[in-house]
Amino acid sequence: MDFDRNTYMRFACDTGGTFTDLIVEDDNGALTMFKSATTPDDPVRGVLDALSHAAKDRGESLDELLSAGSMLIHGTTHALNAIVTGNAAKTAFLTTQGHPDILVLREAGRLEPFNFHIPYPAPYVSRSLTFEIPERVDSVGGVMLPLDENAAVDTIAKLKKQNIEAVSVCLLWSIANPTHELRIGALLDKYMPGVPYTLSHRLNPALREYRRASSSAIDASLKPVMTRYLGSLTERLAESGFKGRTLVLTSQGGMIDAHELAERPIHAINSGPSMAPLAGRYYAGLDSKLPNAIIADTGGTTYDVSLVRRGRIPKTRETWIGQPYRGHMTGFPSIDIKSVGAGGGSIAHVDEGQILHVGPESAGAVPGPVCYGGGGSEPTLTDACVVLGYLDPKFFLGGAMQLDVKAARKAIDNKVAKPLGLSVMQAAASVVGVATENMVQAISEITVNQGIDPAEAVLVGGGGGAGLNSVFIARRLGCPQLVIPETGAALSAAGATMSDLSSDYRAMFFTTSTDWDEKGANAVLRDLETQCKAFQKGPGKDARSHNIEFTVEARYASQVWEIEVPLRKSRLSGKADLASLVADFHASHEEIFAVRDEESDVEFVGWTATVSCGVGHKRTGRLKHTADEDVVIGRRKAYFESHGAVDTAIHSLHSLKPGKTKKGPAIIESPFTTIVVDPDAKFMLAPSGSVVITP
Amino acid sequence: MSNAKRKTKTSHTRTKPKPRQLDGGKLAILANRFGGICSKMGNTLLRTGRSGVLNRAKDFSCCIVTRDCELLHAEESLPIHVLSGPDLMAKSMQEFHPNLKRGDVFLHNSPYHGNSHPADHTLLMPVIDKKGVHHFTLLAKAHQADIGNSIPTTYHGTARDVYEEGALIFPAVQVAENYEIKEDIIRMCRMRIRVPDQWYGDFLAMLGAAFIGEREVLALGEEVGWDMLHVFTEQWFDYSERRMITAIKKMPHGTGVAKSTHDAIPGTPPEGITITSKATVDTKKAMIEVDLRDNPDQLACGLNVSEACTRTSIMIGIYNSVDPTVPKNAGAFRRVKLHLKDGGVVGIPRHPISCSASTTNLADSVQNATQRALAAIGDPLGMGEIGCFCPPSTSVVSGTDPRTGKPYVNQLFLGHTAGGAVAYQDAWLTMLHAGNGGMCFIDSVELDEVYTPIVVKTRRLIPDSEGAGRFRGAPGIEVELGPIDCRMEAGFVADGNINVPQGARGGGDAARSDQFRRQASGRLERLDQCSQVWIEDGEMMVSIACGGGGYGDPRKRDPERVRHDVEEGLISRKRAREIYGVSITATNKIDLKKTKELRRLRR
Repeated sequence: MDFDRNTYMRFACDTGGTFTDLIVEDDNGALTMFKSATTPDDPVRGVLDALSHAAKDRGESLDELLSAGSMLIHGTTHALNAIVTGNAAKTAFLTTQGHPDILVLREAGRLEPFNFHIPYPAPYVSRSLTFEIPERVDSVGGVMLPLDENAAVDTIAKLKKQNIEAVSVCLLWSIANPTHELRIGALLDKYMPGVPYTLSHRLNPALREYRRASSSAIDASLKPVMTRYLGSLTERLAESGFKGRTLVLTSQGGMIDAHELAERPIHAINSGPSMAPLAGRYYAGLDSKLPNAIIADTGGTTYDVSLVRRGRIPKTRETWIGQPYRGHMTGFPSIDIKSVGAGGGSIAHVDEGQILHVGPESAGAVPGPVCYGGGGSEPTLTDACVVLGYLDPKFFLGGAMQLDVKAARKAIDNKVAKPLGLSVMQAAASVVGVATENMVQAISEITVNQGIDPAEAVLVGGGGGAGLNSVFIARRLGCPQLVIPETGAALSAAGATMSDLSSDYRAMFFTTSTDWDEKGANAVLRDLETQCKAFQKGPGKDARSHNIEFTVEARYASQVWEIEVPLRKSRLSGKADLASLVADFHASHEEIFAVRDEESDVEFVGWTATVSCGVGHKRTGRLKHTADEDVVIGRRKAYFESHGAVDTAIHSLHSLKPGKTKKGPAIIESPFTTIVVDPDAKFMLAPSGSVVITP
Repeated sequence: MSNAKRKTKTSHTRTKPKPRQLDGGKLAILANRFGGICSKMGNTLLRTGRSGVLNRAKDFSCCIVTRDCELLHAEESLPIHVLSGPDLMAKSMQEFHPNLKRGDVFLHNSPYHGNSHPADHTLLMPVIDKKGVHHFTLLAKAHQADIGNSIPTTYHGTARDVYEEGALIFPAVQVAENYEIKEDIIRMCRMRIRVPDQWYGDFLAMLGAAFIGEREVLALGEEVGWDMLHVFTEQWFDYSERRMITAIKKMPHGTGVAKSTHDAIPGTPPEGITITSKATVDTKKAMIEVDLRDNPDQLACGLNVSEACTRTSIMIGIYNSVDPTVPKNAGAFRRVKLHLKDGGVVGIPRHPISCSASTTNLADSVQNATQRALAAIGDPLGMGEIGCFCPPSTSVVSGTDPRTGKPYVNQLFLGHTAGGAVAYQDAWLTMLHAGNGGMCFIDSVELDEVYTPIVVKTRRLIPDSEGAGRFRGAPGIEVELGPIDCRMEAGFVADGNINVPQGARGGGDAARSDQFRRQASGRLERLDQCSQVWIEDGEMMVSIACGGGGYGDPRKRDPERVRHDVEEGLISRKRAREIYGVSITATNKIDLKKTKELRRLRR
């Protein structure tokens, strides 16, 4: 059935650290892309700026544009920023008596065992705002010590006195028996009405008290700020004429209504970046036959890598705010994104032993790379690309900014070439080489964790800087194909237009392959399915399509880290179903970890159902194109490590003829990005609008 | 195929001309790639290990040594596992097996041939190219939950020799040929190691790590050329040495001596064992020299420190004061000279004396003494002593799980702090013990209660127990745990009750450790520091583990840090006043006037 395209217009707006990206999806499915500066003091203004920009482009007023829209999908860094800048609410932590240091001890672990400069991280909620409640439940849900209600009420009185703005409650084994947590919730309602709180078993019914405690503490602390922010966003959009639905992207790669997210704001922490793999999956599907895709999003300071494994986007249960062991664990699965400090702004320096390093220090947006002329003095990856002739100093961001080549060359010469005894060009190529290797390591790490061989994967490059060295990255990894989608410069926003309304439901239920409790497992699956169906009938009632996926987290007996195995059916019946599930587990384990243990019992621990409701177009549209002449718009010298300086053809993305394979060297430019193809690679503009490169 | 007969070339015959020197960019890239291989191996071990000591506490390491048995890469490993040892083990592998073949794997846990202690099973896998030439050796090392000791613990503190200790010793014994496991060895282990399925699962995890590492190094060698990799290793060592020279030249020059004493246990003299370390920083020659010869002879107990651990402990003590970005490898080690005693309790203990607890107790004393010897030379060198291992909260527990009727054995990591302060930062709280460097995870109470029939009643930091200082040590931690519906055997070798973790350069000592049985009546009964005890149903075990020593004069501590510690309930107002000379009001403000007075008075 063809979807009626004349019903609405949609906006996808992703607020990033530097830019707010907007994609407008027209009534007929055509896309237009806009960028405006992010306004950290009032991010809603940045969103409205981008929308005004789009309205102007169409010759409409903001009100006209917005009133034609049915849906605005928003990716935001607001929750993350609130945590990083210390603007989250003053939060109290209530926990089981005897265990006040859950958030202090965390799960221990450390990076860099010889580095004593790094301070031990402060707990997410300080000890002075941590309160012990007399009660104890055991591992099977039995009450060892009943809840002392008087003590709980006394504690609440203390919270009021200290002007606590949010409360997190995490008791040991609340996942086995939630009665005590629920009772404390009721007491908070009664004695501290209006103050938001989060109960750990409700938010995140997972084993391991630190993870649950951390989840609930982070969530509670974000409730006031995200309620305000999302309220302001929807209000001001409405004031500007928007009558549609406002949805926000979640860390899990779905989206939910803004008011729902305000209830569970922890899910907004990776809002935005989580969309890149969605877009990557779509474009990889259009342009490549390979089973897996690696999606790499290049920003100014970070390089974010995610995966698509046989059409599925893997999630990780370990999401950290900040570095592992030095930051805070959200305790929630999120799209598995590995972020490293490597980007256009990464600074190159030579250490006292004459080794070149690139990043993780970044020149950021201010002062920025030397060539921006904003006062930066340290050479960056962008400077190296200017020196090598990859970037046109006159056509940066479509000519919006002039680049200072001389200054970039001088910085590379003084700070890299001379200390290493190389020519300026060799030095600049080395900077690109080291940055490339840093990016490759980030990709290797995430692919090995998921058992993916890059030789069977297409690399999808997103972000404004992706085109500069993605050919080198793909070649180094052995990826047979590189795809730079036409919306690559705003990959997350593009992904948002493809996102589904979605929600995850999870339950703990332990059974094993030898003592298989089929009835129990099916009861859990039934319960999860019921929750999914309720979502379909609620937020998803106007959706075009519905889908429910079931997965189970399983492990060999006495392992403690599970791997996720998709279920082939919504219920399991008989020996054959169990056998195929166990076989799937062995296969996944071997794929990821190179060994299998056929003799071992398999333990099934956590069960998840993910409901998704399609609300977008079946197919994402193309950017509007104007020209289809295949012309070379210029030539310049570009320097490549293995070829030296080579006369290179410059193409405009909009002047390439689709379907024709050409040989490198070439540089393809658009207002949002520059794609470098070295002499050893071939490239083609695919009918999809992507540039497809064979490295 | 006469594969077995093909002689493995380990000599440096080069058929191709020597590749050109690599520039700083290329060196960085190859270093990164070797690092990536190590982390892939480590990830496999963590995710697939079966015992808690491996998959929860992360007590494992992966590293790469060159064909000349020099340590190339071991970042992000447990320090005590790797700085020295992999080199010695690789040497013994080559000595015992001169004809290495592709697909060979060797099990090594002999402390008499370069391993740390018998509980650390290590798999060595030579990387051999298509032509049969040996280029590198990979090591995957993991502390086992059990190794077949005479009692259910992997730290047999009182064993008078290796026979009483009872561990199966594998001096580089072949366990796989042509990538196939040798079942003979597996059967042997299954007969002598408790909970054999768990051991075998861990063995598979290590094997997976070795295979993954080998695959990667082979791919790297084929891609860039083996000669190029060997040029790289030489240049990388030179680079690391240059970095080390620069780092040493920035240090204060001089010699310091310090002692660290381990409390007595059965088999040691009643006054305990005192370790003396003499450290010299020579900034002119850019050398650091540590002399450990002035120490007792080996003793008839399990505390003797193997050669690998002695060397490593000294080096950790040194590297904790060196710019952390200096790579730790054979190149940097050229700037370190160690003097060990043959037949010493630390140094080179000889078979059949036991080195059962070689990675922790006295090894920590070696490191702590070395760190304080460096501190004696001058600020900012050295650090306060890191607290003692291993309190009852890190016991090896065993028994029969009443829920399944099956036996269990595992080491708990339920509560540790131990961090010592440095000249520029407060302690890293969760260090576990000196040689661990804080890499271990701490057990989730819930996870332990699922996997072991125990209940953890309390786990909390102890106020006023930190080593005070300009920068302070970690506070201690109290853990109370006991069996549920069964009895439980617990083994531990605690320290730090009589000889507490000392501060450095005027920093204060940490509070002492202790351990009790809480009888069913509620009465506390003190347990021996080194115990193998049964805790009955209804009884609890109370573990008081110490924190670490401070660095510098506590009266020079930033008053704001003192105020914050008071607010957080880590120190009392009384201690703030008496030890730190800072007056904190009832509303947690600094009373500047009183503070000034207090600090002046104490001069």
